[in-house]
Amino acid sequence: MGSAVGPQRWWVAGGVLAGILWTAAKLTIPLLAAAAIDDGMRAGDTDKVIRLTVVIVAIGAIQALCTGLRRYAAFRIALRTETDLRQRLFAHLQRLHFAFHDQAQTGQLMARANTDIQQVQTVVILIPLTVASIFTMGGVLTIMVVKSGALALLALGALPLLNLAATRFSRRITPVNLELQEELADVSGVVEETFSGVRVVKGFGVEQQQVRRLQVEADSVLDRALAAARLRSGFMPLVDFLPTVSMVAILWYGGHQVLDGRLQVGDILAYNLYILMLIWPLRMIGMLIAQASRASAGAGRVHEILVTDPAIADPEPSAAAAFPQGRGELRFENVQFGYGPGRSVLDGLDLVIRGGEAVAIVGATGSGKTTVARLVPRFYDVDAGRICLDGVDLRAVPVADLRRSIGIVFEDTFLFSDSVRENIAFADPEAPIAAVERAARLAGASEFIEALPDGYDTVIGEHGFSLSGGQRQRIAIARAVLADPRVLILDDATSSVDPTKEHEIRSALGEVMDGRTTLIIAHRPATIALADRVVLIGQGRVLATGTHQELLATNADYRRVLATASVPGAADAAIATTPEVST
Amino acid sequence: MRAGRVDTSPVDDDSRLDRDSARRVLRRLSRMLVPYRRAILVATVVLVAQTGCLLAGPALVRAGVDNGLVAHDAAALNRAALAYLIVAIIGLVLGRSVIWLVARTGERFLRELRERLFRHMTSLSLDFFDREKTGRLVSRMTSDIDALQELISQGLVMFVQNFLIFVGAIVVIVSMSWQLSLGVLLIVPPVVFASRWFRTRSNLAYLEVRERIGENLATLQEGLEGVRVVQAFGQERGWIKRFHSTNENQYEANLETVRISAKYFPFVEFTGVVGVAVIVGWGGVLVDQSVVSVGTVLAFVLYLNNLFEPIQQLSQLYNTVQSAGAALHKIFGLLDTAPSIGEKPGAVDLPNQGALEVAAVTFAYGGDAPDLDGVIHPLGPEVLRDVSLSVAAGERVALVGPTGAGKSTLAKLMARFYDPRGGAVSFGGVDLRNATLSSLRRTIVVVPQEGFLFAGTVRDNIRIGRDGASDEAVDVAVAALGLEEIFAAFPDGLDTEVRERGSRLSAGEKQLVSLTRAALADPPVLVLDEATSNLDPGTEHAVERAMDRLTEGRTVVVVAHRLSTAARCDRIAVVDNGGLMEVGSHDELLARGGRYATLYAAWDAASMHHPA
Repeated sequence: MGSAVGPQRWWVAGGVLAGILWTAAKLTIPLLAAAAIDDGMRAGDTDKVIRLTVVIVAIGAIQALCTGLRRYAAFRIALRTETDLRQRLFAHLQRLHFAFHDQAQTGQLMARANTDIQQVQTVVILIPLTVASIFTMGGVLTIMVVKSGALALLALGALPLLNLAATRFSRRITPVNLELQEELADVSGVVEETFSGVRVVKGFGVEQQQVRRLQVEADSVLDRALAAARLRSGFMPLVDFLPTVSMVAILWYGGHQVLDGRLQVGDILAYNLYILMLIWPLRMIGMLIAQASRASAGAGRVHEILVTDPAIADPEPSAAAAFPQGRGELRFENVQFGYGPGRSVLDGLDLVIRGGEAVAIVGATGSGKTTVARLVPRFYDVDAGRICLDGVDLRAVPVADLRRSIGIVFEDTFLFSDSVRENIAFADPEAPIAAVERAARLAGASEFIEALPDGYDTVIGEHGFSLSGGQRQRIAIARAVLADPRVLILDDATSSVDPTKEHEIRSALGEVMDGRTTLIIAHRPATIALADRVVLIGQGRVLATGTHQELLATNADYRRVLATASVPGAADAAIATTPEVST
Repeated sequence: MRAGRVDTSPVDDDSRLDRDSARRVLRRLSRMLVPYRRAILVATVVLVAQTGCLLAGPALVRAGVDNGLVAHDAAALNRAALAYLIVAIIGLVLGRSVIWLVARTGERFLRELRERLFRHMTSLSLDFFDREKTGRLVSRMTSDIDALQELISQGLVMFVQNFLIFVGAIVVIVSMSWQLSLGVLLIVPPVVFASRWFRTRSNLAYLEVRERIGENLATLQEGLEGVRVVQAFGQERGWIKRFHSTNENQYEANLETVRISAKYFPFVEFTGVVGVAVIVGWGGVLVDQSVVSVGTVLAFVLYLNNLFEPIQQLSQLYNTVQSAGAALHKIFGLLDTAPSIGEKPGAVDLPNQGALEVAAVTFAYGGDAPDLDGVIHPLGPEVLRDVSLSVAAGERVALVGPTGAGKSTLAKLMARFYDPRGGAVSFGGVDLRNATLSSLRRTIVVVPQEGFLFAGTVRDNIRIGRDGASDEAVDVAVAALGLEEIFAAFPDGLDTEVRERGSRLSAGEKQLVSLTRAALADPPVLVLDEATSNLDPGTEHAVERAMDRLTEGRTVVVVAHRLSTAARCDRIAVVDNGGLMEVGSHDELLARGGRYATLYAAWDAASMHHPA
């Protein structure tokens, strides 16, 4: 992660310099105070006391200035590093291939970009602060040893124990705190469940049962909380105690040296102040060690993502073909594809879709019909064989150009929490409103959009306002239409549309598809009827092709696939609710 | 002095209490703490003693310096040093016990509070849960109690101790020399003011940070969830730019907090140094005039730390205390909410059998107790008007009608999820309002339409039906509905964990679990709310069959969304506009040619059109 800090070397240098200066100023003050006592007060020289007082205030001003600067520098560097790293990660994730995102869970990626990067940030803050701490410790040690080696040993001897105890404490408390967090999560699990399912709880009158479950969890929380308290009660008082032991040593041994004339009274004060100065640096080094191991684990996980190369890449400029002209002829030649080894989905698929033709791809669940649709925009690359658009291998043209010429409506409609207009104009944010309205009309969406509270400016998902599944799908269709693509892919795009509205979309889609190459993945006969030709897929290849009527008449497989796809019960249930609506 | 980031969470206006509420919260809290008074007393005594040990240190240094060093008395020096060591050891022991004592009492108190709050919440009636969002209720039990937990584990001891140290230090230095104290105390007000400024400003800044982080995370999440769409339409660049702006906003907000602390901490450090200078300078003058001893000057410099640290710490702990106070306030508000469905004194058990009678019932939602925000929801329009319906023992009655007609409400009244505004619902001649709650829930069981599953195995979920039922009893219930094969096909059969990946139950399968629960409960009366959602084809048939077996020989009221379900019942009641339009058997109603006949014709025609 060093490269992430690199661009800020001036802040690093400034921060370190301020840290050193700060340490020096801080170390001087006890010496000046001691001098004021010994050479001023005890010598009866009040003028000297006053002079030294002024010097102390002046040095205090320098100290304050430097502490501001070093803090600001440390945090700024860390925050900048965090922000840049997160930006890099996000940009990288946006470019990573589908197969990567299929495997990664959004929650985990969020954790990488959030908690893991924050761990790195925290350690970056601690580094300059630790540098200053090390200087402080070195300085204190030097001054004390120079004045009296034996006293230094006696006074400082106990302090490394503080560091040791802090490290040990953080090592032991971390797992207990994690367990406590887990138990607390269990409590909220029970609570959340009970109230989400409150109708079941009330319906069966099982409140007592839930209370008993909570009692068990609450007892576990109590147990872990007390375990944490036990550890804390062992450590926290040491933070006060160990420095006090040093001060006792200073008073006693230092005092005897004063009596022997080897030290002065002021030194006792200076030593005490030095001890107070050491408490924080010693604790912080323990913290840094614990934090560094967390951060390096986090950094490792982030790094792992950053070194993953996008699998779908542009061709080498030298090998790139010009983007072909044409009407959108698609040719699948002996295409082999699987989602990972041993999970073959397509096994020698040969298929030609003429430019402007509308083809419905039909097949049983898992037959690979959606996969066919996803290979065309190069969401995945074929394992063997090739796919050509207007005679050119998909892999030979720039990905951006390819995708611009393809409009896809996904099976699971994802809309962004922006306005309806921005969602439809997604492919071309600069599109004029007329184009947006036209796309909406073609998708059969204009009527309900105009009825929305703010029409096209209605923000999706705001104020509890939500669209039905069918409405979302129609907006997604409009989004694909707006790009005016050469190839349109409808992946089960009308599955959530209310059957009574489906014919509206069908007639609208007819207009969109006119003269445009269209791939329709569907299992409703009504949707299949939109296509000029039906291709039945099974065992990873084309089983039969023909019109809907032809296949229905001649192909038993086709009839079986259609029968299981549109199960009587499902449609029955869908229709059963219509009387309520219509009356 | 803290070099790390201030790690107290910011407090927004929602979690700030005015003086009056704060006083009420405190009074109520002290009442709740009465059972713990001995433990609290002991902890307080120990805490005061420990603070005394901490404060004794500099005074003993003074004794060592003045009586030992200045007076050249080695014995006096030894005595002072030994006393210092003993006091330190006592302080260590007391320090350990005080943390332990406070944690033990505090955590026990919290445990009881958790249980009490949860018990209370589960006793509340459904109208309460209709009003309040689940998320808010959960946060009462989690983030609010966690705020208290944080106070108890981190803040409480420090808060009290810092206060004691601050006050104690002032008392000690004034009693040592009021003249020198005057100089020191001059520095205290600026530090107090600066700390207050810092607290207010950094609180605002951290609220801003929290907001910006939220926005940035939202962009991040949307960019990741929608990454396929982004790539499909080639909008990567646009989204990277969008993220850049929220990401930079987060950076800016964070940097603002750094700017604030980059002003505050230097000021505090500088004041500390000025404090040393004043003590030494003014002390020098006083020593010269023999008003104070050199040892006193030394002790003052050491006490300076005891004045500065508490001010800073108290200022930071202020947020923790305030959040905890606000959390308590909300928790008390919830504890004060009374359940609207309660058990009357002298309530009787319901008989085992009888007719379920709805007599001239009128009902409207709303108009109950104010919600947790104190908002009173006005009484809504009448959902049911003067509805009467009698369900004989062993009879199956279906309620049909358009959405919002009141059929679900009627069903809920029949199970006393709500009480009617007018009229009465009775079972076997006993008004449900006069029945004991336990016999009510035992006799009339409601199977809600969403087959809600709790974490655990399928078996655990079925056992919800009857607490403590044996494995055999569960098997019997499964067999009674003819579902052995379906459950056996789950990865681990009845012992399949329902929340585990790969074994997510479909809507239909959840319904089956729900029905089996009812079979296990085996109540005389069942109120079923049929699922409106589409069932998966595989379980559709099983659900129907299970429902038939479950309702066999029981008094049943079913809110039917499918007319096929209604047709299988003994009688059908058509509910619309808050009243019963017609009641009769399927055949009778068809023959009558009224509302039901029209509904059925439409439904039947729609089913026929089906492509299969």
